[in-house]
Amino acid sequence: MSVGAKTTPALGPQTIRQHAASQKQGLAHVSHLSEILSFENESNDVIGALLKELAVPHRRTERWKYSPIAGFWKKHKPATCVTIADSNCEAQPVPGLDAYRLVFVNGTFDPLASDLPIAAGVVCMPLSDAVRSGIVQREISSVEKSEWFAALNGQFAGEGMYLAVEKAVELDRPVLIHQRQQGAGVPTFLRHVIELGAQSQAQVVNWSSASSDASGSVNTLTEVHVGEQAVFTLDKVQDESGEVHHLAFEAVDQAANSTFKIHTMTIQGAWVRNDLQICLSGQGCDAHLNGIFLPTAKEFVDNHTTVDHREAHCTSSESYKGILYGQSTGVFNGKVFVRPDAQQTNAYQQNANILGSRQATMNAKPELEIYADDVKCSHGCTIGQFDDEALFYARSRGIGEDEAKAMLVHAFIGDVIESIAIPEVAMEVRHRLSEKHNWDRWDDANLL
Amino acid sequence: MAYDGKDKVLEEVTAKAYEFGFTTDIESDKAPAGLNEDIIRMISAKKNEPDWMLKTRLEAFEVWKTMEEPEWPHLSYTQPDYQAMSYYAAPKQKKKLNSLDEVDPELLRTMDKLGISMEEQKRLSGVAVDFVMDSVSVATSFKAKLGELGIIFCSMSDAVQEHPELIKKYMGSVVPTRDNFFSALNAAVFTDGSFCYIPKGVKCPMELSTYFRINESGTGQFERTLVVADVGSYVSYLEGCTAPQRDENQLHAAVVELVALDNAEIKYSTVQNWYPGDADGKGGIFNFVTKRGICHTRAKISWTQVETGSAVTWKYPSCILKGDYSVGEFYSVAVTNNAQQADTGTKMIHIGRNTHSTIISKGISSGRSQNSYRGLVQIMPSAENARNFSQCDSLLMTDTSGAHTFPYIEVKNPSAKVEHEATTSKIGEDQIFYCLQRGIDAEQAISLIVNGYAKDVLNQLPMEFAVEAQKLLAISLEGSVG
Repeated sequence: MSVGAKTTPALGPQTIRQHAASQKQGLAHVSHLSEILSFENESNDVIGALLKELAVPHRRTERWKYSPIAGFWKKHKPATCVTIADSNCEAQPVPGLDAYRLVFVNGTFDPLASDLPIAAGVVCMPLSDAVRSGIVQREISSVEKSEWFAALNGQFAGEGMYLAVEKAVELDRPVLIHQRQQGAGVPTFLRHVIELGAQSQAQVVNWSSASSDASGSVNTLTEVHVGEQAVFTLDKVQDESGEVHHLAFEAVDQAANSTFKIHTMTIQGAWVRNDLQICLSGQGCDAHLNGIFLPTAKEFVDNHTTVDHREAHCTSSESYKGILYGQSTGVFNGKVFVRPDAQQTNAYQQNANILGSRQATMNAKPELEIYADDVKCSHGCTIGQFDDEALFYARSRGIGEDEAKAMLVHAFIGDVIESIAIPEVAMEVRHRLSEKHNWDRWDDANLL
Repeated sequence: MAYDGKDKVLEEVTAKAYEFGFTTDIESDKAPAGLNEDIIRMISAKKNEPDWMLKTRLEAFEVWKTMEEPEWPHLSYTQPDYQAMSYYAAPKQKKKLNSLDEVDPELLRTMDKLGISMEEQKRLSGVAVDFVMDSVSVATSFKAKLGELGIIFCSMSDAVQEHPELIKKYMGSVVPTRDNFFSALNAAVFTDGSFCYIPKGVKCPMELSTYFRINESGTGQFERTLVVADVGSYVSYLEGCTAPQRDENQLHAAVVELVALDNAEIKYSTVQNWYPGDADGKGGIFNFVTKRGICHTRAKISWTQVETGSAVTWKYPSCILKGDYSVGEFYSVAVTNNAQQADTGTKMIHIGRNTHSTIISKGISSGRSQNSYRGLVQIMPSAENARNFSQCDSLLMTDTSGAHTFPYIEVKNPSAKVEHEATTSKIGEDQIFYCLQRGIDAEQAISLIVNGYAKDVLNQLPMEFAVEAQKLLAISLEGSVG
């Protein structure tokens, strides 16, 4: 017997035990998907091996203990609708936003609805084209090596966006990815690859919507490389009706002195899990992670974030806010990982939640894992309810309870929405939230 | 950092041998290695236990066989071979002892070395000591005095014989056999421990304390402690551990159960200083302990722990706040040095209305050690107006050590208020500089700062323990700034 001193800390769970039943379930799912999906990375032995080696998440998997995945095992069927024209939906979900656009319907690129950027130093095209023309090589990302569902994406994702911005090029307009889920039981796999050269700048909006009869699953993996001194902003808005199971991985790798900002706005979604992994691989990186989630009814929203501080002098700040209504369940798991070399790290993490109803549940797990000594790391997590005194103040001035609560909500999540760099997106998020929650006052110009 | 002799101090301190490392030479009665039904029957027979106890043990063994050792803790160690260790060792002298004169002089010397001379303890501090040496209780004091108040304070083996109704009722009621791998193992093979019962409305006039000590080479020690505070009673219970230096890892899988009935209060304080292994991480105790208390209406359980020892610690003293208005508290200082690893914290499970819990955890990591806080705050739908405040701070002494925080917060009631905050930082260079400037050397300065940092917790300890705890902190840490 001996005690093994950890010299190189391993990120993530040390050993994940496979669970025979889950493993069987997972592999059955793989063969089920291969029957109905036209695309499959068949030649890829590595992925095939990973799907067998990695543990299929089950209730006792630490990273998945709060996320029930049974919904993914439901029977899927091939998509019938592949164009936005057939989907009874606007190609451009954000009114007034002047942006390039890539539209994917049930995982298929819709060229007619899309508007690709054509500019010097910018390459933007559907991933399938990029692979076919040899611009991008298929590589196994680190998430695929550690997460079974990411490996599943590796097996079945053939489409997505490829965006490359050359050194010192600034993209003049944001790129909007509109991902539409239409119809029952459709499995969607998307892979976005974003490469930003040194000193470049780009903004991407990833908007996902679904029809009210939509079900099935969405599995997205976004790989981002932010070059030295580059600035990248990613705004994710999830507004999906229906019963879609949405699982999104973002693997971000930042080079020295780069800046990355992400907003994860979950407006609506039956089952949503965002798994965000940020690697600060150069010195002087700056990462900002913000998110809001306001689930109602039986919705489930899970935000997993990992910030891996690999090098010195990096800062990360994180703020996630949730208000949970109905019988909804919220999960927040934020991990700040500071490696031995990452001295002078400054990491801040904040998670605040309000339980707005009796049956709502919030599970939070803010983690710090620190292997360097000269660091400033802190996290705060609160779970509470609407402030009675504030409500009383408003009500004693003739403001109804619902309206008063809406005001408090606005104040609570306002700072996160305001930090969205694109005003049209912020406006639309506010608008959709107020529609969902019947906050008439929210559209009032005075409040915005 | 700009003061001289830092490295020297560091070397001196890390090179310091474990002060309490010695072996008592007493012939002992030891079971052959391995774990099977026969061994369990043998333990039960040796202890002359009634049938129901044996039945419970065998059931626990069946359950244990189906369980797997947990892998989720942030620990890295080779799992012990449960079939290679011996599950029973008792000093051979088995005759009943009435006074200290009858105690083996070798044992008395051991106690002296530990600094708990029985006479001294009896006379000066008014502490009744139930001294557990290798699983069998050899000396009990103040029993008569406690008896007058109706307080039962005896070894678990005696309790099984003399108070079977209490044991049957409460043992396993807080930590059920199938709770976890180690609790199941303990339920199957526990050899001894302490039992304490405070009758209705009685305030225990003295601090009750138990000293545990692993003595026999290659034996695991599996204590079982049960403290029952009846309606309206109060007890403060102390537990302290030191263990002799060994090269072989030793397993310690104890179970502690606290039952605080209506309006009762239990204060449970621990100073844990098991052998942590040498500077290279060789040897040391594996400390896998399940501690849990249940609070009925308006009851209060307060856990205070100072953890400085063990090679590997896996320990989560918890409170189930079942009754309305019940209160749970957890105060902890965990120090790890050299190659030590600790994954410790608490669970506060709020079931009753208006329940309150407070968690103050201070971690200090030095050397190449890994120190993790892992805590659960769970608010059940019935826990109206529940309140929790958690604070977990980590102090890093060296750039090779690690400090980690894994809080789990699960809230199912909207009227609950749960707050959690955690910080991690290194010991302040400016603070050390301030002390140096005023003629306080680095070693003393660090001791000062660490004691100040841990003060919130140390203040919760009873007087006698606070002194010992401060000494332990000093031994574990002084000068180890990197």
